[in-house]
Amino acid sequence: MSALPQLIVAGIGMGSIYALVALGLVLIYRTTNVVNFAQGDFPMVGAFLLVICLFHAGMPYWAGILVALAGMAVFGGLFNLAVYYPLRNRSYLPVLISTLGASIFVQNTVLAAYGPQPANLPPLLPLRGFQVGGVFLDPQYLVIIVVSAALVLLQYLFFEKTYLGKKIQATAQDKETASLIGIPVRWMIMLTFVYSAVLGGVAGILVGPIMYFSIGMGTAIALKAFAATIIGGFGDIRGAILGGLGLGIIENLGAAYISVPYKDAFAFLVLFAFLMVLPQGIFGEKIAEKA
Amino acid sequence: MPLLKLSHLRVSHGRVEALSDVSLVVEAGEIVALLGANGAGKTTTLRTISGLMRPDAGDVAFEGRSLVGLSPEMIVRAGIAHVPEGRRIFSGLTARENVLLGAANRPNLSRHAREAEADEVSALFPEIASFRDTLAWKLSGGQLQMVAVARGLMAKPKLLILDEPSLGLAPLIIQRVFDIIVEIRRRGTTVLLVEQNANMALSIADRGYVLETGRIVTSGCAAALGKNEAIKAAYLGQRAA
Repeated sequence: MSALPQLIVAGIGMGSIYALVALGLVLIYRTTNVVNFAQGDFPMVGAFLLVICLFHAGMPYWAGILVALAGMAVFGGLFNLAVYYPLRNRSYLPVLISTLGASIFVQNTVLAAYGPQPANLPPLLPLRGFQVGGVFLDPQYLVIIVVSAALVLLQYLFFEKTYLGKKIQATAQDKETASLIGIPVRWMIMLTFVYSAVLGGVAGILVGPIMYFSIGMGTAIALKAFAATIIGGFGDIRGAILGGLGLGIIENLGAAYISVPYKDAFAFLVLFAFLMVLPQGIFGEKIAEKA
Repeated sequence: MPLLKLSHLRVSHGRVEALSDVSLVVEAGEIVALLGANGAGKTTTLRTISGLMRPDAGDVAFEGRSLVGLSPEMIVRAGIAHVPEGRRIFSGLTARENVLLGAANRPNLSRHAREAEADEVSALFPEIASFRDTLAWKLSGGQLQMVAVARGLMAKPKLLILDEPSLGLAPLIIQRVFDIIVEIRRRGTTVLLVEQNANMALSIADRGYVLETGRIVTSGCAAALGKNEAIKAAYLGQRAA
């Protein structure tokens, strides 16, 4: 029996996590022109919030998830106010450094509050793994895939079908003109940070049951999410999703058939290949076209 | 009380003074042209009115109320729509979506009312129907200008500010745009028009002002300005006979 389908399902599952974080990265990049280096800490904070809700406050799973996601919304808003907003009229560099500082600050805050020991979340659904046509499926990966797909669909409907979504798109495309026609640009940016943090929180809550995580978990996820956005075409939403899924599958297959210790390296090999051959990514525009 | 009154505006870009002393008045129902060479400060004047720039001194009063210190969002809510130079249409959205976004200054409008108003505004530009669902980056300059003016009108402004609406357009299209401006005024919206194409602007304006290096140097009724030899030589691209 081939392990291939199973590896691909797990790859899509992990890839969905990268895609969710990459989506948050792209949304913030498009509205503010800033690459948020603390993006990977969003899933970390989300996962630890849930750990605290479940094991320290003793909440039931569903309530813990609601509280953790509400907490992520507040966190996203505070992140905007503290890290981006005071520097919004400066060039991208001070803001970028500010996000780096925020990443260190957030990790150490969680370290001080929770401690260095790794944590793990119970499975979202109390289901055992099962076999379909000879393929063993871990339900946790299916949960990840279904929730991520639903979120991407909701996001698509929000941006394409609602007036608020159009206003956020307009803000991302041209902030000055957006303000000139009466779009409250500050609130659109605030919403983007809040949503992006919640997306990251969802990623953290989804990945929590399949790995032991500690305060540094964000670094690896963020690097792969970043690689995913470059492979997909930087700034492109479709690219972030496709890049994230692709990376998840490739690193899983690479680990299974080539080398387990080099699992993390495959993502960067692919990134390297893209930078050499197709630097604008799958959906990206060439720099020359931007000028 | 004039609809718009600028008094002794002084505005700088960093350390460079862009406007040193600009005063002008727009009465309700008028078309007023603001003329001048490149770099004279026309666009800066408009950007100060709509809140994109803050004056160092002087005042912008709209219906007797000072606008200085208000954000662009608040100013468009007060009733001034600014169609910027270069149209600045959101290129990743369709023509129709751009027009609909013009009502963003009235967030309580229902979707239905917004669509109805967009239909009403688009009636002024029957052309838009043929490309309403086309992404804006595929549109021509003339089509973009129609969308830009329609988007401005969606704010239901009392004062419509147009910055260089003829820029980069073919003569036939320019004529069409100016006909539309006349029609907009006929329907009751006051227009403040900045133009390089001074002949065209004066042909539809009631009054005009001439800016030179950040100062108003001449003003008067459009017919008289059009005949003023010094102005012709300097700004209208014609040699004084």
